[in-house]
Amino acid sequence: MKQRDLELLSSYLDGQLSPSDSARLESRLSSEPNLHAVMDDLREARSLLRRLPSRKAPRNFTLTRKMVGKNPPMPRAYPAFRFVTTLATLLLFFTVGLNFLAPQLASQAPAYGMGGGGGDTETFAAEAPAEAPATEAPAATAAPAAELAPLPTATLSAEDSGRIAETPAEKNGLSEEPAVSDAAQAWNVAPFVPPAWQIVLAGIVVVGALLMLLMRQSAISRWRQKG
Amino acid sequence: MSWGLQVSAVNLHTVIKLSPMNEQALIQDAQAGSLDAFNALVLHYQDSVFNTALRILGDEDLASDATQEAFLSAFRSIRSFRGGSFKAWLMRTVTNACYDELRRQKRRPTMPLEPETDDGEEMDSPRWLADPNMSPEQKAEADEVEHAIQHCLNNLPVEFKTVVVMADIQGMDYSEVAMAIRVPLGTIKSRLARARLRLRECLQGFAELLPAAFRLEEGTSA
Repeated sequence: MKQRDLELLSSYLDGQLSPSDSARLESRLSSEPNLHAVMDDLREARSLLRRLPSRKAPRNFTLTRKMVGKNPPMPRAYPAFRFVTTLATLLLFFTVGLNFLAPQLASQAPAYGMGGGGGDTETFAAEAPAEAPATEAPAATAAPAAELAPLPTATLSAEDSGRIAETPAEKNGLSEEPAVSDAAQAWNVAPFVPPAWQIVLAGIVVVGALLMLLMRQSAISRWRQKG
Repeated sequence: MSWGLQVSAVNLHTVIKLSPMNEQALIQDAQAGSLDAFNALVLHYQDSVFNTALRILGDEDLASDATQEAFLSAFRSIRSFRGGSFKAWLMRTVTNACYDELRRQKRRPTMPLEPETDDGEEMDSPRWLADPNMSPEQKAEADEVEHAIQHCLNNLPVEFKTVVVMADIQGMDYSEVAMAIRVPLGTIKSRLARARLRLRECLQGFAELLPAAFRLEEGTSA
């Protein structure tokens, strides 16, 4: 028996053949006893299976809330919101961390590559307090000197007093400049990630979290009403 | 919510009759999360699903477990149902549950499939086959037929068994079976034909035990 003939006979029993195929098979059945015998076998098997009694389910298979879990089914958009909010949160933490580390990386960079441009932050920190009193002292004496300079009773000439008045200012400027510029290099380096981006990310996190909360609450209330 | 259902309870077994409109409404509500709507579908289909599992697994307890697992899985994934035959979709779920169970059995084979008495002897006419409306002779004959068919079904490869159970026992058409087990229509035809032939060959071994059943088929025509 060819597989093709077997399929034809089986489909014929189920009425799945086209009228032309059925007619062709019927003419063969009348002339081929073997084919007819196989069809009888198939028909018997099919008939026995169809006579098999249908059994009642031994119990009800209805589900309880405990079986399906306490969490109500979330709206379809929920996973998308969760994904976007989680991604935004991770990116926010990453950018905050990156911006925090950026100045430290920038201050370390010259020591490795520029050769004597700035020195390291520890040296700067140790030197800064020592320089501060030295610069403040002349400034404190310079102010009264400058005020006294125009007075005719002054013992110093105007040129001298002007020189005295300028000198502390120059000294002050010279002594403070390295402190300010190093600090700027260390702490005022432009952040890797613009703050605007972080604000946008934070906004997505907050809005996403709020929307997820609302969706969840709405699903729970619907679940309680319907389920 | 009311879905206009006709509900009847016989002992503890509940039956729900659904019209296509009711079924569609229930599916939509179940997809929206209503457990009551889903349970109405369960009550309507539980006999079919249980019978399918029973014929594939050949054991009532395993079939009960697979049926429960199938409904649980169906509820969890009901949003993925995109229309078409809900019965075919459910049958796919229960078939998967049965395949899982068969895989588990392969890993750790367990008890015999035949139920036993309290003394540990195999029951000739198991309680679970009994139908109170049958005479003793009818019951004995039905038991024998059922035993013989189940024995032969158990000897079929699972992919043949699934097709023949759905097409011949559940009465599903070819396209529904194809949808349920996700194989082409031609494969369904081929598997069904071969499964029927193998079953016939196997049942010939029971011809002496089942004379009445076979005599009934003699002399019939297409």
